[in-house]
Amino acid sequence: MKYFGGCDVGSTYTKCVILDEKGTMVSDVTIRSKINAEKSSAEALRMACEKLPEVKTPEKLAYLIGTGYGRNKVPSADENISEISCHAMGVHVTDPTVKAIIDIGGQDVKGIAIDTDGTVKNFAMNDKCAAGTGRFYEAMANAFELSLPEFSQLSLTAKNVIPITAQCTVFAESEVITLVGEGKPMDEIAAGIQMAVAKRCFVMAKKAGATDRVTLTGGCAKNAGLKKAIEQVLKLKVVELKTDPQLMGALGAAEYARQKGLEKE
Amino acid sequence: MKDLKHLYYFENLLTEANNELVRQAKAEGGIAVGYTCFHMPEVLLNLDRCFSVRLRAPRTGSMEMATYYMSNSTCEYARALLERGLEGGYRFLDAMAGVDVCECMNRSMENMELLDVADPDKKGFFWCNLDSPCHDNEDAVAHVVEQVTRKVLKPLHENYGVDISDAAIRKAVDEHNEICRLITQIGEYRKLDNPTITGYEFHILTLATYVCPKYLIVDKLRQTLEELKTREPDSKKRFRAKVVLVGSEIDDPELISLIEDSGALVVADRFCYGSIPGRQEIRLTDGEDALTQVVRDYLHATLCVRHVEPHKIQKRLDTAAQLCQDFHADGIIYEQIKFCTYWSYERALASHIMADEYHIPTLSIDRPYMSRTSGQLRTRVQAFVESLEIKKIRAAKAQKEEASHGV
Repeated sequence: MKYFGGCDVGSTYTKCVILDEKGTMVSDVTIRSKINAEKSSAEALRMACEKLPEVKTPEKLAYLIGTGYGRNKVPSADENISEISCHAMGVHVTDPTVKAIIDIGGQDVKGIAIDTDGTVKNFAMNDKCAAGTGRFYEAMANAFELSLPEFSQLSLTAKNVIPITAQCTVFAESEVITLVGEGKPMDEIAAGIQMAVAKRCFVMAKKAGATDRVTLTGGCAKNAGLKKAIEQVLKLKVVELKTDPQLMGALGAAEYARQKGLEKE
Repeated sequence: MKDLKHLYYFENLLTEANNELVRQAKAEGGIAVGYTCFHMPEVLLNLDRCFSVRLRAPRTGSMEMATYYMSNSTCEYARALLERGLEGGYRFLDAMAGVDVCECMNRSMENMELLDVADPDKKGFFWCNLDSPCHDNEDAVAHVVEQVTRKVLKPLHENYGVDISDAAIRKAVDEHNEICRLITQIGEYRKLDNPTITGYEFHILTLATYVCPKYLIVDKLRQTLEELKTREPDSKKRFRAKVVLVGSEIDDPELISLIEDSGALVVADRFCYGSIPGRQEIRLTDGEDALTQVVRDYLHATLCVRHVEPHKIQKRLDTAAQLCQDFHADGIIYEQIKFCTYWSYERALASHIMADEYHIPTLSIDRPYMSRTSGQLRTRVQAFVESLEIKKIRAAKAQKEEASHGV
């Protein structure tokens, strides 16, 4: 049996997935990214390979593809593919009925429309700004002195939504502090933050042409409050993936590795 | 590919506005005239002892001072020029030939003038702001002729004794045309199946022709053309797709480098500071004064998005499609510098029209003035290249299947 790897080196988390020849996920790892992308990917790969006695070391993988912002730093990778293509393929192999993705990563937000074969039909992406990204959520949760899951849960309990006007991470943080200082309910402020991010996602989704069968990927896909807000603004039900949505980039990379590795033979 | 012999030399000329050739020309008695836009006919700034320097702000860092004067929602190119001016980077100039074409550039020029970025010891220094029409009819030609005569040629003659006669204009056109011929011939190598010049290299050469005295670079351009005649391409293609780059001002070769590092070879440059338009010969006849003919040529050749007459809009779309065909490109990248009002409209519309009506794959991006560190931009371009590549693979597969069914 041959094995194929995908390593998604994101700005906050590094993910690694290993597939067998049939495309079954046989190993996966998610670790916090270090400042050095090469070290992050080496460690994630090592951990993922160690879970498989037949593989043990990354060099034994038949084909390896790097993706994410550190995609060209993955040691011993055969090639690198952009995370946009990889997310599309990862979602496609998980649920071929999905037509579009909103990917909220650590430092960017993307809207991706998927073609029938898992390739990218169209995409839109935010610019050099942390608004509406994982970094934004981390800053907001810090301002609330909560963990990210606690922050998400808090927003779900709100009966009203207090609109947040600033999208800039720095200004939004000061706006939140002002609102808290004014004694506004914390859960309603949290719901306002979720709505602000959902609106940003709405823009990306619309720009990419996402109208139907939309799913969320990236670390923020686990944020139930955000999912609810996105469903509200897009007026549709977000498709739940049966595999961890944070792994979609690495899974797509591994699937491309599988296809290319088998083709090479 | 083996490095071009003079590439490093040309690259060095682009590291500052007052480069070694500008300094040399000035030491030889030349008059440096700064300008920023295609609408100021470049050839008219190269009369007699004058030479044109199209302004850039290489190695721009923070633009805080310019942002103070212009606000942060203005074009970064206009702000970068003001910042460089405030830093003293344009004090070598003997005149500044501005054009009233967009609000941001107007504000940049106005602030430069008010904040005295010019050298106060240059008694002949003058600022001008040419009114440029949005039409290309004969009224517009007459208007620009009057503007150029009064605001540029007359001060050059009165302040510096420059020969602005018809013969001087014709001589400048001849020199200009030689540069255009060389750049065009060099550019032809981008049409090869495996081009022997990259978009980055071509942009470096083209940029050098905008910012250096022409007579000081023409020999090295000739040598580069000769070198290209025998330059061997890489045996394995380094690029996965070919693209035409269309859009606003680009004077940062790093942007082309970023695109090419992401897998897309830039084979045609349809942007300000590029060669299309800007490096096409000007054909003069003897039946009319040279000045009028030059002005008419620039007005007809412009592909500037501030010209919104239907025939100009159509011409821009058709030109982009034609370039794709002529240079065998797989797609188009429409780019604009952030906060460029004109290009924000053009890019939004044209990127859809090219994809939907011309059926040419199109990527639309906006970018900062200096984009070398933009990871997002890199990802966008790479994803576009991957989609182009997949389309090519699919088309080849379909063709193969069709052929096998035929058999």
